[in-house]
Amino acid sequence: MRKVTAIFVLAIFGFYMLSVFLTIPFGEKRDNVGQHYLANTVKETGAVNTVTSIVVSYRGFDTLGEVTVLFLAATGLGAILFDKKGKKRRLQHASLIVRVGAHLLYPLIVLLGAYVFVHGHLTPGGGFQGGAIIATGVLLMFMSYRSFETSHKALIYIESLAGIVFVLAGFSGLIWGQSFLQNVLPLGEPGRLLSAGIIPIIYIAVGFKVGAELTGLLDNLLKTIK
Amino acid sequence: MNFSPVHFIAVPLLAAFLIPIIGRFSKEVVKLIPGAVLLYLSYVAISLYPHTLQKPIVEIIAGFKPPFGITLYYGPLAAFLVTMIMIVGFVIWLYSYKFIIREPLEKYYMLFLLVIAGAAGIMITGDIFNMFVFLEITSIAAYSLTAFLRDKDGAEAAFKYLLIGSFSSTFYLIAVMLIYANTGTLNIADIATKMQSVPNQPKIFIMILFMVGFGIESELFPLNGWAPDAYSQAPSPIGGVFGGIVVKASTYAMMRFAFVLFDFRSTFEFILVMGVITMVIAEMSAMRQQQIKRMLAFSSIGQMGLVMIAFGVGTDASVQAALFQIFNHAIIKTLLFLAAGYLVFHSGSKKISALDGLGHNKPITSFFFALGALAIIGLPPFAGFWSKLYILTSTAKGGFLTVIVLILISGIIEAVYYLRVVSRLYFKKDVSKDSVRRTPLSGIVAMGVLAIVIILIGFYPHLILEYIQPAAHDLIDKASYIKFGLLN
Amino acid sequence: MVYYITAILLILIGMYAILTKKNIIKIVIGLSIVDSGVNLLLISIGYIKNGTAPIFSVEGLTPDKMVDPIPQALVLTAIVIGLGVTAVALSLVIRLYDHHKTLNINKIRKLKW
Repeated sequence: MRKVTAIFVLAIFGFYMLSVFLTIPFGEKRDNVGQHYLANTVKETGAVNTVTSIVVSYRGFDTLGEVTVLFLAATGLGAILFDKKGKKRRLQHASLIVRVGAHLLYPLIVLLGAYVFVHGHLTPGGGFQGGAIIATGVLLMFMSYRSFETSHKALIYIESLAGIVFVLAGFSGLIWGQSFLQNVLPLGEPGRLLSAGIIPIIYIAVGFKVGAELTGLLDNLLKTIK
Repeated sequence: MNFSPVHFIAVPLLAAFLIPIIGRFSKEVVKLIPGAVLLYLSYVAISLYPHTLQKPIVEIIAGFKPPFGITLYYGPLAAFLVTMIMIVGFVIWLYSYKFIIREPLEKYYMLFLLVIAGAAGIMITGDIFNMFVFLEITSIAAYSLTAFLRDKDGAEAAFKYLLIGSFSSTFYLIAVMLIYANTGTLNIADIATKMQSVPNQPKIFIMILFMVGFGIESELFPLNGWAPDAYSQAPSPIGGVFGGIVVKASTYAMMRFAFVLFDFRSTFEFILVMGVITMVIAEMSAMRQQQIKRMLAFSSIGQMGLVMIAFGVGTDASVQAALFQIFNHAIIKTLLFLAAGYLVFHSGSKKISALDGLGHNKPITSFFFALGALAIIGLPPFAGFWSKLYILTSTAKGGFLTVIVLILISGIIEAVYYLRVVSRLYFKKDVSKDSVRRTPLSGIVAMGVLAIVIILIGFYPHLILEYIQPAAHDLIDKASYIKFGLLN
Repeated sequence: MVYYITAILLILIGMYAILTKKNIIKIVIGLSIVDSGVNLLLISIGYIKNGTAPIFSVEGLTPDKMVDPIPQALVLTAIVIGLGVTAVALSLVIRLYDHHKTLNINKIRKLKW
């Protein structure tokens, strides 16, 4: 009965939603603010990756909120699972092949993650993606070595300092410029590593923060005692 | 230094990021930080208020003019509500200072600060997607705080809240993408200018999605299933945070959208009808509750129904009455939750029947509870009287006579169940043995401040009315929102 | 067109899981499916036929051949938010399992509406 009702309600909702979405032409160019960004991004922000310029510059305030959401999730998870955290991860021993392979790959994965967030304004990727890549590297090590530990203290410091850097970068715009998060650094030559003003600084901070937070989340979840 | 509305978000975030580091050195300092932040922000809010009266403050973020960058719209309405939540937040912090003894303390205060920052963000942002981000900050902090006590029921209440809340955010996000696809912009003022050209079918669907999305957070029937559980299972000060801060933020968002984006008559009729149903059902459910905090939660839903009714009438006078009721509900319901927190603590049980005779044993806390109960019923000379009176008169002028009858009947039901609790406090034999534990000074000061405000406004309602009038105009005047929002 | 249908179907499947499944882990999976559906829908709104990624990585790329960058930026935010909600949901599942020793929602449900 419950299933029938659910299907019925969802069918109506889905039908209505589809009929509304079908009024939006698919795959056509529309006149919207996105076009403005595409036309002006290199001139205004110095970043060649338009998505990055939107995420960090035009809509940087969203990203501050987004970073906060992740921070909040880590905090909330820590609060809910407080006193459930044990000393050891409850995993089986990994085989020799996995351990050796993980050991070889781990530095490369971290390097790739760092590359992705440092080059966020030039190539696809950015702080979130880079941080997530780093966390997968740590996860690989967690799975292969039961004794592999990350320093809890270091994670807290990275997380907090990176967040503080982001907010202070915002305030620097308020102090030296006209508005919060405004770029106060020279834009440089588009396409170079050292360009796009505060975008790389913010994305590096975000990369560290996301990497540390996801690592902390994984550590917390893997060490939960039954 | 020049104050700017961005402080309401950036400063709590900075403090929340700092707390883990400071927590490594001193727990005592961590407990003081939220108080300092909220005191500072109350000061900022009060000192910004006169500026908003001349002209809404429109703060550009990252130096890009709207609609290309995100803007913050800080008009008289936002100023009124933000000042309210900052002060209520400060009072709740004062109460938490001694009340919350459970670890992890620093996480509690981080979540507490972020829930307030998120609510303030919803109220001042001028961008729909940015509002989504703040909505999520508020909700995720609220989920975590609901489960903060880590008991059986807390986790269950939080899980339920999370499920319903994620429906809310999904609907909201779908509405945002439909708006973007149809108007090509995310700035609320810009959307308002382009909303006329959107065909009717998407427009109505967007409206439904928004109403459902915000209806969940602002406790509209039948989407309020999370509220009684979350209110009663969260730590008591957090009940105050939900009733005084979280709900107010999403009600604000709903009203702003109703007035700016969908100003056709049927939106308001819909809100009015939903408000009436919410109020009647909630008050009847409150009557049946055995637990005091659940009763307060249902009463809170009922009060929000009343607010929705007043908004739904949609005239200038009724919007003023609604804002007055929002303010009263924030302070009175917070006082009730704070007092109930210590009553539950002293009696050792969440049940109403365990409160017998506490009025003799714990006179101060019981007095504050009784005062809050009398105020929320709407007895003179307390603050609640005026807002109910204004709602009734403005609804009468709008010509909704059936609604008035229903409001009066619900008022009687409300009086019955509140007075039942008060009479148990004072006219039953004392059964509790606990005479050792006392309500700490910080708790008494917190409740005392709220009680003084309630009585003061009861005698001098114009003290608050002069703030409400410009706020109501700010909400109704769509043209000026568009004009200032786009910096023309 | 088919992108819209697929994404909406994903949303509906996720919602169906949330509404009917008894196992709370499956409900959390349903949440993630809804998130993915919404994200795909958002991305497909910004698609332009034969468009490229909105990055001016080599000389000679012009804006009119690029897909709309805004939905991509919004999806980035939405994904992170979805992750945050899922993390909190999973921690609550751990707590619930801890207290009730079961994942069946019928045996957990004590608080009534």
